[in-house]
Amino acid sequence: MKFAVKALSSGKARAGVVHLGSCPSPIETPCLLLSTRKGLPIFISPDLLSSLPSPDSNLLQFSPLHFSEGPSPKTISSIGGLHQMVGLHEYGFAAVARDSIQCLPECGSTNKTGASFETPCGRRLIKPVEYMEMITSMKPNLWATLADEVPAWANNKRNKTSVDRTVKWLDECIARSP
Amino acid sequence: MALRFEVLGRFNRARAAQLTLPHFACQTPLFMPVGTQGTIKGLTTDQLEEIGCQIILGNTYHLALRPTSELIDELGGLHKFMNWPRALLTDSGGFQMVSLLHLADITEKGVTFQSPVDGKPMLLTPEESIQIQNRIGADIIMALDDVVRTTITGPRIEEAMYRTLRWVDRCIAAHKRPHEQNLFGIVQGGLDPVLRDICVRGLVDRNLPGYAIGGLAGGEDKDSFWRVVAQCTAALPEDKPRYVMGVGYPLDIVVCSALGADMYDCVYPTRTARFGTALVPEGVLKLKHNAMVNDTRPIDPTCACMVCKNYTRAYIHCLVTKDAMGSQLLSYHNLYYMLQLSRNLHSSIVEGRFVCDFLQKMFPKGDVPEWVCNAMDVAGIDISSCCSS
Repeated sequence: MKFAVKALSSGKARAGVVHLGSCPSPIETPCLLLSTRKGLPIFISPDLLSSLPSPDSNLLQFSPLHFSEGPSPKTISSIGGLHQMVGLHEYGFAAVARDSIQCLPECGSTNKTGASFETPCGRRLIKPVEYMEMITSMKPNLWATLADEVPAWANNKRNKTSVDRTVKWLDECIARSP
Repeated sequence: MALRFEVLGRFNRARAAQLTLPHFACQTPLFMPVGTQGTIKGLTTDQLEEIGCQIILGNTYHLALRPTSELIDELGGLHKFMNWPRALLTDSGGFQMVSLLHLADITEKGVTFQSPVDGKPMLLTPEESIQIQNRIGADIIMALDDVVRTTITGPRIEEAMYRTLRWVDRCIAAHKRPHEQNLFGIVQGGLDPVLRDICVRGLVDRNLPGYAIGGLAGGEDKDSFWRVVAQCTAALPEDKPRYVMGVGYPLDIVVCSALGADMYDCVYPTRTARFGTALVPEGVLKLKHNAMVNDTRPIDPTCACMVCKNYTRAYIHCLVTKDAMGSQLLSYHNLYYMLQLSRNLHSSIVEGRFVCDFLQKMFPKGDVPEWVCNAMDVAGIDISSCCSS
């Protein structure tokens, strides 16, 4: 992946360009990632997706937790990764553990071993090693490490704990980076 | 008459033909997906064109309720409203009236029922049905018939058959657009060959552009079903299209085509998709089953559709019944399967192998059902190579 800032405003805003291996054209930033459910935009199958403006619609965000009930990381690997599994070979995927709708961080249940999320399949605790297993099998272009997300109103102690855990898990994720 | 029907090839009773309608030149045998509310659930009109859909069926009852035929007419007709450039067929509204509304009452005037909107008594007459269909603007419109389920016996069937003939005259008189829309009559008469014969003759006398065989696909046994189709196709004119309403399963379509029918419609492919079932040459594949969890094969390795080219059973399994995309992808595949079946029937009828290939894949052990063997006997098609007995 390559990212370059092309222009700066008088403030902090910047216009840039992202080059991803799977995308045939570079993508201008700021850009909007399309949110997905199990790798596909909610009502838009791949043949319809191509009717959206390109390359602006070529970046998709997904949560590995959408696949907690299957297919397994082993199966996803044997299929060849997420791009292959959902039939979007020339698109870029960015993985984040949480989405804003159905996989929400449950900071009260997160502990030192892993991050907790409310999902349609119930509450799930994900450890860095499990998260990285999913990332390794899915092979997204970009991925965020597992973090201990807390809301803005968390108290100081909880806030500090979340930062310590996030940094620790950052190292653990990087160590298992594919 | 606003259609041309030209038989291009035959195998005994089966015909491969070109049916030229105002909006599209179709090839028969053909399957019509059902677009109840002016849409096929889960697919865009672009996708329908892409997979080779030729005619879509719209339900007059549902469209008259929402958004009303007057609004559709005002907006330029159903083709424009739903952005479908090819052919459309509307049914009369009669079937839904009888099947959806428990308090429907059929009299000589028409079908009285309680409006589902406000409970007020309403009356659908042959004249009203045709007027609504004239406004909707489909290439083929259906006469309002007195539909009786084949599982019913007694004098009601005879009454319904004669009434259907009387109503067809009222439909013909009420039809304001005979040069743009083709009015098909519907043969009724239950499972009684005498009644069916009277109805066929009566409709043929009216010299309509096409004919449908109605009152079937409602729970009758298969042996009775094929015999009614065989009788009607033998008696209906050679040079006009024959439409078996509500059929159906791929096997039923193959048998009816062998007996000389040309057009079919059914909600089965799309409805079963929404329950997680895919249509395959061997029969059906239930994607919900745990066996699919890690199965990395496509639904059907012989299918060329977008879904089979891109997706594994494992992925579809994780979607079905939980995410709308599962229904969309399965509906797409199932319709592609039905339309490909139609294309195969059309192109292979002359070769005469179409029935055997299909039966061999569906019944690899040779256990072809007896009703199919009986029907193929009458159709004059030798399937001994597919049967073990």
